[in-house]
Amino acid sequence: MNNAKIWLVVPPAVGVPLFLGAVAVGSFAVHVAVLSNTSWVSDFLSGAPLGSGDMAAAALPDTDAAVKPASYAMMPDGSFEMTIILPDGTHAQAVVQPPELRTASATPLVAQ
Amino acid sequence: MTDEDKVWPTGLNLKEAEEVHSYLIDGTRVFGGIALLAHILVAVSTPWLG
Repeated sequence: MNNAKIWLVVPPAVGVPLFLGAVAVGSFAVHVAVLSNTSWVSDFLSGAPLGSGDMAAAALPDTDAAVKPASYAMMPDGSFEMTIILPDGTHAQAVVQPPELRTASATPLVAQ
Repeated sequence: MTDEDKVWPTGLNLKEAEEVHSYLIDGTRVFGGIALLAHILVAVSTPWLG
């Protein structure tokens, strides 16, 4: 009980709330850290099989803003040339051709 | 007046300070025991700690 002497210089009305508050803030911070670094807690609390939330999220279409920016322009011959801006900022070209255009431009399989 | 009877700036003497401290120690032990039990249950029933 040697530490009891703290109450001779620190009023219990100050020290006890400070001590309890430190415990509360510390434990809250640890639990927030656990919740923000794991993904199974919501599954556990809702009774779903652990990991099912991640599976459902992976099945959703990607709506990440980083992959949204993309542009395309129509070419005069009716085909489509698209400029795709990739998430890392690089560009890629994609050409979409109608089936008849591909057929017309295809190399004949039989030599003439 | 002995040292045990001296009233310190907080208004407590040594015996009263030890009484306050004993309540704090008891509360901490009860809290710790409940928390230990809760953590054991969580460790058993969830992937926490792998």
